[in-house]
Amino acid sequence: MVELTSSEPYQHGGLTGPPPVARRFWQIHHRQRIRLWGIAFVLPTLMFFAVFKYGPMMWAIELSFNSYDMVSTPYFVGLDNYRSLAADPIFRETLINTFVYIAGSTILTTVIGLSLALAINTGIPGARHCMTAMFLTNLMPIIAVCLVWRFLLHPYGLVNQILQPLGFGRIDWLTSSSTAMPAIIMVTVWRFAPYFMVIFLAALLALPEDYYEAAELDGAGAIRRFIHITLPLLMPTIFFVVVVSALLCARIFLMPYLITGGGPGNATRVLSMLIYETGFSYLKMGQAAAISVVLFTIMMVFTALQIRLFARSEQVYM
Amino acid sequence: MKKSALGIPSRRDVVRSIGVAGLGAAVSVPIARRAFAQTKKPVDISFWTFDNPQQRPWVHKRVKMFMVQNPHVKIDFQWFAFGDLGKKISVGFATGTAPDGFVSQDWFMPVWLDKGLLAPLDVKQLGYDNFTAFTGDFAKAFVDGATKDGKVYGYPMWFYGYCNYLNAKQFKEVGLNVEKDWPQNWDQLGEVAKRMTVKDGDKFVRQGFKFAMHSSQWTMIQYNPILLQSGGKWFDDSGKCTINNEAGIKAMTIRASIAQKYGAEDPADSIATNPIPGMDFLKERASMFFCHPLPTSLVKAENPAMEAENYFRPVQYPGVQTGKGFSTTYGFNLVINGKASAEKQEALHDLYKFMMSDLVDAWKDAAPFTFAKKTGWADNPEVQKFPYVNEIIRAKDEGVFLPRSLVFNELADSMHRAVQKVMLSKADIKKTLDEAAAEVDRATAAYKKA
Repeated sequence: MVELTSSEPYQHGGLTGPPPVARRFWQIHHRQRIRLWGIAFVLPTLMFFAVFKYGPMMWAIELSFNSYDMVSTPYFVGLDNYRSLAADPIFRETLINTFVYIAGSTILTTVIGLSLALAINTGIPGARHCMTAMFLTNLMPIIAVCLVWRFLLHPYGLVNQILQPLGFGRIDWLTSSSTAMPAIIMVTVWRFAPYFMVIFLAALLALPEDYYEAAELDGAGAIRRFIHITLPLLMPTIFFVVVVSALLCARIFLMPYLITGGGPGNATRVLSMLIYETGFSYLKMGQAAAISVVLFTIMMVFTALQIRLFARSEQVYM
Repeated sequence: MKKSALGIPSRRDVVRSIGVAGLGAAVSVPIARRAFAQTKKPVDISFWTFDNPQQRPWVHKRVKMFMVQNPHVKIDFQWFAFGDLGKKISVGFATGTAPDGFVSQDWFMPVWLDKGLLAPLDVKQLGYDNFTAFTGDFAKAFVDGATKDGKVYGYPMWFYGYCNYLNAKQFKEVGLNVEKDWPQNWDQLGEVAKRMTVKDGDKFVRQGFKFAMHSSQWTMIQYNPILLQSGGKWFDDSGKCTINNEAGIKAMTIRASIAQKYGAEDPADSIATNPIPGMDFLKERASMFFCHPLPTSLVKAENPAMEAENYFRPVQYPGVQTGKGFSTTYGFNLVINGKASAEKQEALHDLYKFMMSDLVDAWKDAAPFTFAKKTGWADNPEVQKFPYVNEIIRAKDEGVFLPRSLVFNELADSMHRAVQKVMLSKADIKKTLDEAAAEVDRATAAYKKA
């Protein structure tokens, strides 16, 4: 704080003018005030995230080093929960299932979502209506979706009724360990692909026409235009879709839980189901937290890899 | 009161007086109400149970009647899906929101008792002279799960065994008579089921027999008697899981035989669709089905002709030895949260005594669900007029309990996976049971360590 004692005109920075009024310690500069207002506006959101997001996340990480049965007081067990996970064949099988599910669903959702968007973007008659009809899959409650698919994929259900005249035998979609996971992936793609189709469509509509006109003048066909213009320009959108879809799939719970219950055997059990069962059915919250941390780490690594991969591919294209 | 120059109270004085009078009245009314309305202190209780179309409404009815008779007790009555209740209660205990009283499935009792979560019941308040008088009033197998170290922790309610339900009309169609030809061992069950089966190509039009495979609890209920009849045990004396020994393999072979040896069951159909486990039996798409006592209201709702013509017939389970079959029995306890206050515990004792004081009333509303109590209902004419009631009571009396284990959920899930692998993927029985036993042993070790 500056104390002024002289009555001489005050000089600051070569300028003369009236001396600044002495500020008390509680008085703050205009710029600081603006900053404080900003913080005040952001604070509720920060508090919300701290209390409901980062707080529980930190607690889950801490819990993963404890033994906790939801009733007794938690106590520190070091890496025991992680060690028992590493030795557990059910966990290993579930981890593989989760990878298969994420990879299958993400790749197919992205490819089919993009294909649908390209088809709609051609402007063929009725395309808009088709888009609306397809997007309806996202508006249906997930429980209804799962129940309907359970009936459709029943050994005597509609899907087999359609396939049988085409020469296919009976397929036990949900009760055979070789077809259950593909069936769950198929339902996931059916639900999510139209959602990402809309995102791809928005990106396609925003692409500049000039490139296509120039390429057409140079004699480039549709496939070359797609490979050399559309695909590079869509890279940021593809990256977004891949990351968001993978994150969605990593957290999937209701679909396998309601359609197959994780079975047959352990064929469709994914990590989020195992977390639920370990925590709430077996009352091993510490171990459930350890599985959550593993899932979180996988997703962080996956997202970081995606960022690097797509950054590199963008450089190549640009 | 300050007066104006003229000796008249000012407007401010009047307003102040009204305020004081109002405040006085507000304070005095609750005191007066407390003084005259009732003599007992008000008690608010939370009570949870499971949902069942017959049982839950009866429990609710008795709770309402109790509140009318005891106006000082207010009961917040909640119910949850059968499979969810245990999980809800676990979370309730963890978060301090567990109900004061609840209905506990028998297989959860070991965990509640091991963790000291339940309050012991005062048998005198329930109308018994002592512990022995109490335990003597109920089926021993059931009381064993509700008592510990000479104390009672659960007041037994319903307790029932499973029967083999037969479609008498379909038996007749293939030239069989349910009264003479009901299957008394597992081979007979397979042979009869094979005879009843109707197929169109690889599609089952009618399954001769059907095992429910939709949940781990049902898997355990179905598998338990087969294992014990085969001479097997779930655990040995040291606590090691023994489902993979010779008797266990025999049990799984029997379990798989109806589909794999006799071709009389479609296991892929069992787990995929049915909202009610016995729906295929009720819709006459399966000729035989193991089930808890079937309420006639349920039969009537799903198949009015079956109910009207009474062609569903419960018989005892088949046995490994002919005619010596028995099924799984299980039941439910009324219990009190160990953290409930003394007033709440007292009110809950009164509530439980009242609820279970009229079993014939319970029978009328929830028949044919039987009770753990030995007396006061089975010989009542109202009970005896129910079709085949003595078969149902016999299944209860001769039945065996589900394993009382601290790792019951892990055991049930492991067995469920094992049965699915054997039935749906035709996995090797020995290898599958070895894996399941190893899973259970790991769970036991983890529990002991914790």
